[in-house]
Amino acid sequence: MQKRTSWISKLANLVIFVLLEMTAFQMVYSNAPLQRSWAAHSAHVFMDKVWGGSNYIGYYFQLRGVNEQLAQENFALTEELFQAREQLRKAHVDTMALDNRPGFSTLAAEVVKMSHNGQHNYLILNKGYEDGVQEKSGVVTHNGVVGIVDAVSAHHAFAFSFQNNDISISARLGLEGGSGLLVWDGVSSGKAVLKEIPLQYKYQPGDTVFTSGHSLLFPPDIPLGIAGGSRVINGSTNEIEVKLFQDFGSIRYVTVVHNNSFDEIEQFVQ
Amino acid sequence: MRRDVFWLYYVLLVIAQLLLTNYLRVSPYLMLTILPAMVLCISIRVGCVGAMLIAFATGLSVDFLSEGMIGLNALALVPVAYFRNGIIRLVFGNELFARSEDFSVQRNGFGKTMLALLLAYSLFLMVYVWIDSAGVRPLLFNAIRFTVSLGASLLVSLLTLGLLAPDPRR
Repeated sequence: MQKRTSWISKLANLVIFVLLEMTAFQMVYSNAPLQRSWAAHSAHVFMDKVWGGSNYIGYYFQLRGVNEQLAQENFALTEELFQAREQLRKAHVDTMALDNRPGFSTLAAEVVKMSHNGQHNYLILNKGYEDGVQEKSGVVTHNGVVGIVDAVSAHHAFAFSFQNNDISISARLGLEGGSGLLVWDGVSSGKAVLKEIPLQYKYQPGDTVFTSGHSLLFPPDIPLGIAGGSRVINGSTNEIEVKLFQDFGSIRYVTVVHNNSFDEIEQFVQ
Repeated sequence: MRRDVFWLYYVLLVIAQLLLTNYLRVSPYLMLTILPAMVLCISIRVGCVGAMLIAFATGLSVDFLSEGMIGLNALALVPVAYFRNGIIRLVFGNELFARSEDFSVQRNGFGKTMLALLLAYSLFLMVYVWIDSAGVRPLLFNAIRFTVSLGASLLVSLLTLGLLAPDPRR
């Protein structure tokens, strides 16, 4: 009983202490502009620390929405880039008095499934033929080539990943260098090999490797990676190691590109 | 000491503090005060709440009647009253509370009394200097002000001890 009375007494002391301090502080606050400004600033700092922390948690749960918005913006920028490149190409072609080609159409998609660990990796996209995806379309990001669409259903598309022993894409060393075939090295996720580069084309390690545009699947001048060491094959061609820009472990949003002249050219070839 | 005489001295010392605050402005680094010593000398029979209310009223009187910032002395003095029993218990032990006696230099010793005053003044000056600087003074200025004011005020407070905590045997 005595213990309880002692606790109540201590609590009462504390309450009165706090009340008196608050009263005194209120007097200081309302009579001294400098102290008022300082107290307000301190309160803002405190609120920033406390409520700012809770905002970060909120931001974390909004990341998916933010990512999707960024992907949309990224897609819009990629589309603009392709259109600009196409206009440049047309302007270049016009000066050479050749016929215009329709160019590439683009479509944003999200990767819903992707394999990494095999020799024949693949990815599945959340867009199908009802969304406008066609077979034999390229799959790219701003970091390079991701794969090639092989089959489409109404709402999904199946694509071979570039990390696939059966896939090769036409690539070029620098903007004016020699072209060859870029294939995955089959071992690491970030490396490829550029084959069949004629010996007369000189290059420096560190040169950028681009899509050549000779393939019907990918537009030209998409940066793919950086050239590294090389070795001569059969005394006639160079085989160059390429460090890819694309991180295949973090792909989520991609752009599907389709050559509008693909069928016409294929028929012509046949 | 008779209680009415104590309170008479107490009121006179409040007036003395007013004179100190209004007329003795030697340096921005020096703030002379006897208020913490006065609060420490209030009889332990008054209790914590009573001491806090007296400290609040004392601080507010000085604030209103001097050219200082209203509420600042009260804000700094109430914590001294709140922690007063703790300081006395820490420095002089529980015997004073058991016998309901007040401390004095003659009975409890000069060293212990100075230690109690040092703690009370430190508490008062920490709050006072911190709030008064309002975050615009550098730490060095505050530290020098705290140290200089603590030393000078401790010396002045010795005078108040003779009035508020005299030798009980006399």
